[in-house]
Amino acid sequence: MKRVLQLALLLIIFAIMAYPLVWMLTISLRTGDGLDFRYYREVWQAGPFDRYFLNSVVVVTIVLVANIIICSMAGYAFARYRIPGGRVLFFLVISMIMLPKQVILVPLYILMQKFGLIDTYAALTLPFAADPFNIFLIRQFLVSIPPDCEEAARLEGAGELTVLFRVVMPMLKPALAVVAIHTSLINWNSFLFPFILTNTTSMRTLPVGLAMLSQGAHSIDWGHLMAGAVIASLPVIVAFLVFQRQIISGLTSGMSK
Amino acid sequence: MLTNNAAGRGTSRLSPILTLLLPWALVYAVFFLFPFVFSFVLAFLKYNPLNVQNTTWVGLENFARLFQDERFVRALRNTLVFVVGTVPMTTAAALGLAVLLRGRVPGKSILKAGFFLPSIISMVVISLVFKLFYSPSGGLNNALSLIGLGGHGWLTDPATALGAIMIMDVWAAVGYYAIIFDAAFAGIPREMYEAAHLEGAGFKDTLRYVTIPMLRPVIAFVLVINTIRSFQIFIEVFVMTQGGPLGATDTLVLYLYEAAFRGLDYGYASAIAYVVFILSGIFSILVVRRFRPQFGSGGVA
Repeated sequence: MKRVLQLALLLIIFAIMAYPLVWMLTISLRTGDGLDFRYYREVWQAGPFDRYFLNSVVVVTIVLVANIIICSMAGYAFARYRIPGGRVLFFLVISMIMLPKQVILVPLYILMQKFGLIDTYAALTLPFAADPFNIFLIRQFLVSIPPDCEEAARLEGAGELTVLFRVVMPMLKPALAVVAIHTSLINWNSFLFPFILTNTTSMRTLPVGLAMLSQGAHSIDWGHLMAGAVIASLPVIVAFLVFQRQIISGLTSGMSK
Repeated sequence: MLTNNAAGRGTSRLSPILTLLLPWALVYAVFFLFPFVFSFVLAFLKYNPLNVQNTTWVGLENFARLFQDERFVRALRNTLVFVVGTVPMTTAAALGLAVLLRGRVPGKSILKAGFFLPSIISMVVISLVFKLFYSPSGGLNNALSLIGLGGHGWLTDPATALGAIMIMDVWAAVGYYAIIFDAAFAGIPREMYEAAHLEGAGFKDTLRYVTIPMLRPVIAFVLVINTIRSFQIFIEVFVMTQGGPLGATDTLVLYLYEAAFRGLDYGYASAIAYVVFILSGIFSILVVRRFRPQFGSGGVA
């Protein structure tokens, strides 16, 4: 009896969690004459969600590659070297994770304006190229494995960057998977900074373009909006269904360390 | 930390350290440290981007202005209501959900996936879906009309707007924290439960004397990150209500955004930013103090 009650409760909660998302899907598909993809076609071309989608993909790709390289380098240095003032530096890295990012919003905007970078991919990627959480994660992961392989490579005369990219990075794969998930998700969904740092339609990312679409019209056109919302979430949902186990263990691993 | 000796010592090894840290240090210095310090200085300036020549040092005036500013006080109150309301609600609901997931449940991984899904979807998407959901002809009212209620504009009534957004935020976040608690449950040694069982402890006693105490560090961690996140509430109110109706959902970061980018008062906006920063810091410290692990010192936060 208790079992049944437990399962019933779980199912009710599951339904509550799923309902708004299913509802979003039905509104986006219901155009008046049955179910079709008209809203998707229109929002994709005129939205212009094709451009937003491209921008999101470009931004996430650049930020991801930059994070993997830069954070591996820094994480490796923090894990393996006795750095003068290293503790203080590493504390700086960690404290950044917790900081409310809005504190740097206005100065970053001024800075980007001075550099003439407003409305460029540079503005959308450079400030996010070295997420401190990733450095923390890579460093913690490296500390847990002995440096034997690296020393062997070093004895054979390999330089530090060779050691890092040829020997350490392959060992880092599990940590880098978490880095990839964390970084892609955050940047795919990011709103406030991309919103402030761009000002033309052609440079908007998906969340920003979607929010703009919802505020531009006189009367809100929910069919198109929900189609846009599905376009913005679908890649995340598909990735989640494919990599579910890795994503869940990845996003909860930050706290088990 | 086990430092490997060959690489770890001597100034001759300083150059690889510099090479390895340089890219990070550049990004950190230019896009974080400088803006962070600049923001602090800005909070003491009168700085209008259209009239930069007339920038003046005004000391604590921006901060003094805050507390005579009705809109700031309202935004502060709403933000505090949001934080104090949603953080314990989300944490308690997540704990409850994680407890429900204990034991052998058929289809557990599908259930977990469903609970988790909202937390990885863009808050812009969620806010839009709920804006429609809460609208007079939206899904909530449709459901309520089945029992003879409905027709309420949940977001256009000042009495319900903030509450409606808070409930949405609990909905969006609860699965994420439930999965964190679920993972933490798995880390509690089975012997503790067996011992409690032998002592004749029931479900409630086990929860109270075994589970919760063992979870203290994780609860503290969850409370801290959720508190910091909640102080930053912006997308929800920006997309759903623009702070309305009648300022009922005005928040600190929304005001920060408008002071900076509509009012062009960069100094004042920076003062607001520092209030957000300091408040979330103070709340985090209070939470950590309250939930400090009682044995061992392996604090997470």
